Amino acid sequence: MMRERIYEDLTLILRRARVVLYLCAALCVFLFIYYWKVQILDHGKYWKLAEANRTRVRVLTAPRGLIRDRDGGILADNTVGFRVSLDREVTPDLESSVAAMSRLLELDPEVLKERLAKTGDGATLQPVVVKDNLTLEEVSRLESRRLELPEVVVEAEPKRAYPRHRFAAHILGYLQIMAPEDLQSPLGKRHRPNEMAGKTGIERQYDAVLTGTDGTLYEVVDSFGRSRGEISRREPVQGRDLWLALDSELQQKAEELLGDREGAIVVLDTRTGELLTLASFPTFDPNGFISRFTPQEWVDLASNPTFPLENRAIRGLYSPGSIFKMVMALGGLDAGVVGPGTMFSCAGSTIIYGNPFGCWLASGHGPMNLSDAIKNSCNIYFYQVGRRLGIDQIANYARLAGLGRMTGLDLPGEKDGLVPSTEWKLKTANAPWFPGETISVAIGQGPLLVTPLQIACVTAFVARRGVPVTPRLARDEDPPPAPDRVDLPASVFERVVEGMWRSVNDGGTGRAAAVDGFNICGKTGSTQVISRERAAQLARQGREVKTHSWFSGFAPRDEPRIAVTVLVEYGGGGGALAAVLARDLFELYARKYAR
Amino acid sequence: MLDKRLLSELDGLTIGLVLLLSLIGVVMIFSAAHVQSGAYYLRQLTWIAVSLAALFLVLLVDYKVLLSLSFYAHFLVVVVLAALMAFARLVAGTKSWIAVGGFRAQPSEIAKIALILVLARLFAEHRGAFVRWPRLVLAVALAAAPVMLVVLQPDLGTALTFLPIVLGALILAGLRRRTVIVSLILAATVAAGGWNFVLKDYQKKRLTTLMHPAADTRGAGYQILQSKIAIGSGGLAGKGFLRGSQSQLRFLPARHTDFVLSVVGEEFGFLGIAVLLGLYVLLLARLFLVAGMARDRAGVYIVFMVALLLAFQFFVNVFMIIGLFPVTGIPLPLLSYGGSSLLSTYVAIGLVLNIKMRRFANV
Repeated sequence: MMRERIYEDLTLILRRARVVLYLCAALCVFLFIYYWKVQILDHGKYWKLAEANRTRVRVLTAPRGLIRDRDGGILADNTVGFRVSLDREVTPDLESSVAAMSRLLELDPEVLKERLAKTGDGATLQPVVVKDNLTLEEVSRLESRRLELPEVVVEAEPKRAYPRHRFAAHILGYLQIMAPEDLQSPLGKRHRPNEMAGKTGIERQYDAVLTGTDGTLYEVVDSFGRSRGEISRREPVQGRDLWLALDSELQQKAEELLGDREGAIVVLDTRTGELLTLASFPTFDPNGFISRFTPQEWVDLASNPTFPLENRAIRGLYSPGSIFKMVMALGGLDAGVVGPGTMFSCAGSTIIYGNPFGCWLASGHGPMNLSDAIKNSCNIYFYQVGRRLGIDQIANYARLAGLGRMTGLDLPGEKDGLVPSTEWKLKTANAPWFPGETISVAIGQGPLLVTPLQIACVTAFVARRGVPVTPRLARDEDPPPAPDRVDLPASVFERVVEGMWRSVNDGGTGRAAAVDGFNICGKTGSTQVISRERAAQLARQGREVKTHSWFSGFAPRDEPRIAVTVLVEYGGGGGALAAVLARDLFELYARKYAR
Repeated sequence: MLDKRLLSELDGLTIGLVLLLSLIGVVMIFSAAHVQSGAYYLRQLTWIAVSLAALFLVLLVDYKVLLSLSFYAHFLVVVVLAALMAFARLVAGTKSWIAVGGFRAQPSEIAKIALILVLARLFAEHRGAFVRWPRLVLAVALAAAPVMLVVLQPDLGTALTFLPIVLGALILAGLRRRTVIVSLILAATVAAGGWNFVLKDYQKKRLTTLMHPAADTRGAGYQILQSKIAIGSGGLAGKGFLRGSQSQLRFLPARHTDFVLSVVGEEFGFLGIAVLLGLYVLLLARLFLVAGMARDRAGVYIVFMVALLLAFQFFVNVFMIIGLFPVTGIPLPLLSYGGSSLLSTYVAIGLVLNIKMRRFANV
């Protein structure tokens, strides 16, 4: 009762307070259970998430193997390049990141966005490379804003460098990121998206050899993406070095000889098929466009009317002109339509099938046998050989010598040329072959098309007296099986070789190629590249009309060692230019190896 | 003013619990913030000393005196909050800070104490089983003034902590079912209006990310996710002091303030969490029990409102860091870094101890 008087009756509000206390107790029980679930039952899941948070896997790009010439000189090397990528996983606001980067790198924001968008949706959380080949100034500009822009990652990577710049550029090729169509190929499986891969040349052909094994680096990072130390590291393994058969001295000489003319030079070791020289001009310096992004320099080259990116030695298609007389002579002798003593008289022109055909020497060569005809490159003689053989036999012998198909050189993109036949004419033009066309083909004109490399191989085929050769650039990579000797009598080759020897050493058309004591056998060619009417028209205007200039030969006559083929576009007569250039190469070779 | 008998009634266990939790907080703040500049744990120690002094200061004065001054105090606080709106500079996007020397304080924290006192004073004479409209409207109006000003700052989290105070008073005063229904309809209308016209986008986002935390891994959802990863990866015994990768590598946001318990969860595991939760349960139970000892109605109201305020902040925080409640910016009382919050908590507990000390009618 005392309590009643002194104290208020608080039972009601205390009861209400107690209900709330019980509610809180219930909440506490739930709390314990829920924390138990997260911390004990789901522990594994969150542990993995925490590990993934704090570890980052970085790919350590393996340097590519070096490319060396036959003496060990380095033709393709590695230096250090800097690239910058955007790590979208830690990018808070893409717009502002893009704005900051375009300002720091002086890049158009639209270009930047396009590069970010290009990477596809498969790897959205992979850092995207937005620029490579940074200058040191750009690197320091980015590094000084490391804290403001944690999503911008600057990394060093091995970068391909070609120390001799334009030298042998067509052989070596260059790197680019893979085209979309390459992604499914073995090349695509070997490389990560956005990584540089061999695009052309040796870089492409031996990409598997040259590409190393990338390493990986597991490191601890904080929430700003800053590295706090390594967990484990697997070092990258550099790709294997590749030794080429290329003789840099000869290659250098060949490139100098071509000067600023358009053309190609091939020097082949006839004993092994190894390519000592494969020059094509105009050329280019690949160092300027080893980038993930299509550089303006490359676009300019690709659209240049003289096609500097094209390897003329294996992709340029030309009429062989009188060079083809080697094949005609072989065919004529083997088929028996002419013999060593068969004589024709050249009066400067003749009428076949009712049409006039001329010789290059308007005054005529007079009566001559096969050997004389090769030596003087007489058209009239070979018109007769052609007329007697017929187009389909000519085509057979041309194919036997290796024309009309790829030589099998270990470089991508080789062209196979064209050997016309009645079947071909019917298939492509749906028209019968006219016998008059055979007469053009007999002197290497008409639809017949060859590459300079094919001509070098035909020359080696003659030099080896009927054993074809497969040209090779890489010395130590497994070569294809040596081709079998073709079924032609040795005497046939000796007759042709005799004519070729006399062409150079007995005052023939190839006499400018002669080197004392180095029994060179050769054949010249001068091919018309415009129609006779057009040529006459230009000549009337007083403008010089120049033919493509060919020379192809081998030496020495017995136990031959090298074949040299020279083509100069619009170079004029084969004997006047190509033979002169070939001479310098024969001489250099003789000085370096034969003595 | 404080004679020997009163001193002997001082609740040593409660003060011990409060100090223990505060010191654990200092340790965890060290772990969370030593990787960045600013010796937060030292500043927190200073605040503990200041707060403890304030607590004893509150004990000196009979709470009846404080109650009699409550209307003036409340008015003063509202004026300060209004002045803050008019003159304060934006700090971290809000106008909730007032600079006092080197320290900054949030007057909104003190507004809670004033509201507790003024509501206790209002309901001290209320003897009926259910509250009537005039008193209800007056109570809501008294609370609305500071709440509105805090919402405008804008500091939604702090504004939300006024809710348990008002709710606590009304629960004790008693609400009829139809009053509740009418109030709920009113509240829903206000809420709908608030969502459309008052709430800022970032505040709406906080609410929506609660529903779909995975949809927004870089914003508010990122915070919840990182906090859950920290707590979950701690496991049973934790990764060890200063060895939590989430905390030490700064994946965890607001590590020394709102998410300080996540650091405990990561570095000391479920055991650490259990011990801490146990300490809080002990403290809250102790506060609720004191309510039963109060000598008068106003005392019960004060103790209950304080207990509910702490319980509310505690539950909201522990539910928030594990992803069961939106990121509201409500710190964990006693543990989180923050002087104003610590001070108001100590003062509130001081009020409770004050009531317990003076529970005998004849003093």
